[in-house]
Amino acid sequence: MAPDNRTPNRPAARLALIGLFVCLAFLPVRAQEGHPLTGTWSGDWGPSPAARTHVTMVMAWDGKALTGTINPGPDAIAVEAIFLDVTNWTIRFEASTKEASGAQVQVAAEGKLEDIASSHRTLTGTWRQGATKGTFKLTRD
Amino acid sequence: MNTRHRGALCLLACVCSLPLFAQRPSSAVYDTEREVRLEGPVTRIDWATPHVFVFLDVRDAAGTVVNWAVQVASPIDLERSGWTRSGLRLGDVVSITAQPARGSQRQALGRLVVLKASAKQLFSSSRKPSAASRTAPTPRWPDGHVRLGPPPGQTGYWGAASAPALTEAIRSPVRLNGDGLLADLADADRVAPFQPWAKALYLHRQRSLLKDDPLGRCMPPGGPRQFHMPDGFKFVEQRELGRILVLMGGGNRNWRVIHTDGRPQGQPAEVVLSFFGNSVGRWEKDTLVVDSVGYNERFWLSSGGLPHTESLHLVERFSRPSLETLRYEVTVDDPRTYTRPWTGGWTVQWVPNEEIQESFCEENPEFTFVR
Repeated sequence: MAPDNRTPNRPAARLALIGLFVCLAFLPVRAQEGHPLTGTWSGDWGPSPAARTHVTMVMAWDGKALTGTINPGPDAIAVEAIFLDVTNWTIRFEASTKEASGAQVQVAAEGKLEDIASSHRTLTGTWRQGATKGTFKLTRD
Repeated sequence: MNTRHRGALCLLACVCSLPLFAQRPSSAVYDTEREVRLEGPVTRIDWATPHVFVFLDVRDAAGTVVNWAVQVASPIDLERSGWTRSGLRLGDVVSITAQPARGSQRQALGRLVVLKASAKQLFSSSRKPSAASRTAPTPRWPDGHVRLGPPPGQTGYWGAASAPALTEAIRSPVRLNGDGLLADLADADRVAPFQPWAKALYLHRQRSLLKDDPLGRCMPPGGPRQFHMPDGFKFVEQRELGRILVLMGGGNRNWRVIHTDGRPQGQPAEVVLSFFGNSVGRWEKDTLVVDSVGYNERFWLSSGGLPHTESLHLVERFSRPSLETLRYEVTVDDPRTYTRPWTGGWTVQWVPNEEIQESFCEENPEFTFVR
């Protein structure tokens, strides 16, 4: 009986998959060398490792001020103010949004920009939304 | 996973990561504050662009033989200094003064290479090409326009720039090394009128010895940096087509088009963002004035780490006061990065009777070995 060619060679397939991941990890990345905050950032925030909420944040620099939007789309939250301290690359931003109950809540976050030369630089810090406090981590896409 | 699979995986990882380490500034790779003396027989010669590598077995203080890789200049520079491909053979004993790599790698940047048997100096980084001994008139087209290429029937290209990086301080130059690193970081304000974020980013790049230079990832030398590449550039004036091509010797043999057919400049918000922008040129008497917009943010404006944004607008002025000299001046207008428009520039020396050589970023033999 001829061997079944449809049967996957599991070790080989696993090796190929790992190899693909390794290659993807080392691919030349589309770095953005301009203002370090410009671009789309994604990640999450939450009060504990188990309770996380996905966040997408888009920031832009117009030469005078930083502007931003949290979760662009129908439920977008316009960021009211973004402050960047370039002496230590710390950032603070504020916004307000409505909760499911319709109540207006304030969003305030403070974080630090890490690995600013990397295309996948990160922002990490604390996030407060209404009465809930937590941490956040955003990575530039 | 067995040993063979692990080996294959490591090899795959190495191959995949090759472009990441390509053509990093020498300041990022080598420790310019230290010096080593290496002596031993040559075991391998990689005679390739952009850098020739010489490998030699060196006996250390404990008597152990270790193999070193020494980077020297490009083949074209070596041949110009009299070291041809056949000038060094396997087994020849050489004495090399070099700057070692940062860290523990057995790799160095050669400064002086001497053939032991004959005491013949093969290479010295301090030996500069002699300046042109005479000044020939600016070559011109039959209609009187300046020619940016060679005179009719001749060859040549534009080689070394007179400054290592773009700065505003033309009359009172700031001290920079060959990679554009400031001798004194306090001089940053004299480099350009930075916005605070741009100065902080520039200083970050300087402090990290330019290790994140996009050229190190084989990205093209966009903006003014294209006229700073070690392997030079040339202009091809296609007057009948209303355009000038800029062919670059270094990087990845990139090319750029300057439209001279009278077309208007595109709207910055509409042109496709690129490394070399959308360029239209016109002649103002003997000066080619080139207006460019539409730059992406994926390159450094200059060696040394000058940042910019998509709002970058460049006005470049090219003039040729003699056969041997090209004067390059560029006005940088990027209100998101700099507090005002500013101008810098340099001169470039003509290399007569030669052509730019093939040079591909990722081809460097440096990446065929792991030290």
